[in-house]
Amino acid sequence: MDFQMASFITSGLLVIIGLYGVFFVDNVLKKIIALEILGSGVNLALITIGYNGGTIPIKLPGVSVEVFAKESAYPLTHALVLTNIVIEASMLAVMLGVSIILYKKYKTLKSSVILKED
Amino acid sequence: MNYLPMIIVFPLIMAIIMNLLHGKEKAVKYITFITAAILIVLPFISQYGYYYFGGHGVVDGWVSGIAYLYNPAKQAVIVTLSLIASLVLITGMGEKLKNNMFVTLSLMGFASIAAIVLADDIFNLYVFFEIVSIVQAGLVFLSGTEEAYKAGLRYMIMGNVAAALMLLGIAFLLASTGTLNITDMKNYLLVDNPMIYGGLLLLIIGLAYGAGLPPFHNVKADLYARSKGFISAMLQTYSKFVLVGLMLIILKLFNGLDYFASAHGVLIALGVLAMVFGVVMALLQSDYKKLLAYHAISQGGYVATGLALGTPLGIVAGIFHAINHVIYKSALFLGAYIVSCKRGSNLHKLGGLLPLMPSVAFMVLCAKLAISGIPPFNGFQSKWMLAQAAMQVNMPEITIIMIIVSIGTFVSMMKAFYLIYLKPVDEETLKEYENKEVPKLAVFSLFVLTALCIIIGIYPDIVINYLWDYAKEIGVNYYLK
Repeated sequence: MDFQMASFITSGLLVIIGLYGVFFVDNVLKKIIALEILGSGVNLALITIGYNGGTIPIKLPGVSVEVFAKESAYPLTHALVLTNIVIEASMLAVMLGVSIILYKKYKTLKSSVILKED
Repeated sequence: MNYLPMIIVFPLIMAIIMNLLHGKEKAVKYITFITAAILIVLPFISQYGYYYFGGHGVVDGWVSGIAYLYNPAKQAVIVTLSLIASLVLITGMGEKLKNNMFVTLSLMGFASIAAIVLADDIFNLYVFFEIVSIVQAGLVFLSGTEEAYKAGLRYMIMGNVAAALMLLGIAFLLASTGTLNITDMKNYLLVDNPMIYGGLLLLIIGLAYGAGLPPFHNVKADLYARSKGFISAMLQTYSKFVLVGLMLIILKLFNGLDYFASAHGVLIALGVLAMVFGVVMALLQSDYKKLLAYHAISQGGYVATGLALGTPLGIVAGIFHAINHVIYKSALFLGAYIVSCKRGSNLHKLGGLLPLMPSVAFMVLCAKLAISGIPPFNGFQSKWMLAQAAMQVNMPEITIIMIIVSIGTFVSMMKAFYLIYLKPVDEETLKEYENKEVPKLAVFSLFVLTALCIIIGIYPDIVINYLWDYAKEIGVNYYLK
């Protein structure tokens, strides 16, 4: 099994673990951790798409554009992953803040208690 | 000079400035008013066509940079969006919540929705899609109750799942085509490929989340019901236009391809399910705002069904219904806000408000007739077009469901009208009502929206004429065999 395939399988596993954690674990903090695992799986899938067995996508001095375009990984996916990490971090901050507020109110983190629909 | 990027950049800059003005209520008020005025002007002075950020454009057939596409159909959507955003901002000026936070979040939401509608770049769309879900949760947190925090957290957890899956879908599409630009991507999607199926399916999950179609209808309805009335008016505008923007992108990418036929069925089914679930849940509610929230889901189902038909008439009817819907539903939510200033939103505790505010009651009645599709109002025009579009593709059963759902809407709306305005009450309650003020700015916004309901209902062409060109471009004439 080559490297790219192994990487895809890892990202698939991460996504499945993340989805399992979000829907079946009864703890808000663990749900949020599972969301991060899900996001990491997606990021890994994005980076693996860009991988072509070549070098990092930084054009060093002395390398011509043709050689760079042929040998480096696809740089667009790296830009996407960087953006996605920033977005995920801000979502994480807001979710953690709200779960602190709800914890102070209910003294528990069980999602069957604090996320109950009424 | 092309002012198109200013539609997104200007509200974002104002949002940052507003964030700094903490505790200076007067300055916030004046700047909010000026911003609201400028937001209405911006869509009219922008030029049609493609806009490439960074000035790169297309080099040797390769699109470089983020692209926006602007045309009359998108102009109609954005004018409606900015009109409602301005009216809600003006209504919020009279309310004592953390005012600068409210203005900041709603301007960010406006910018993101405008970007989702305009974007011709699928990753730019994803970024703003995520910003919208933070903004919506934040707007709900503003009301500060415990239920609001619960609803917001639940919405954000679901939102993170749906957005991560949607990003995976974008990754699949990127892997199979090698580009993120939508106009460009369309050229590479001709072959069917399991990757593309996966990408399409995951995009549909993102669409269902953003628009509140099943299986996400409960979290969305909870979100509307837990926020203040005029904020819900804005939130439902956001989700309708997310629906329009994403559906137009899905149609532009896949419409007319052989392998899209099955996905078509899925989209239509989602729309019909939203329609039926929404109205059934609404009939069961005893809380006025929850009732309106489920009706918003139900009407979103109409929009989704019309757009998912994929014919030019269906697309025009869908966008037109989205525009009409946000107008009358915002009026209804503002009416609910005015009522809740008097005494809560529990239908069993209200009553007898007609002699106290006959003009508000009349305007809310107009909006209620519009949502049930009674002829002189705008709801009738778009529902009529939707029914025609369904008949045109040989699906009379959808027309029948639409009519039945309309009747359910009418019944529950009239029930709510009776319980709030007509039911007799005792002396004590009347005295309690008289002590509480009606927010004047909300009545003004309600008046503007009701006037629009009647104007569009009598002259529907002022909106429809803008929509035909783009609908013919992305719509495909097809008949079910």
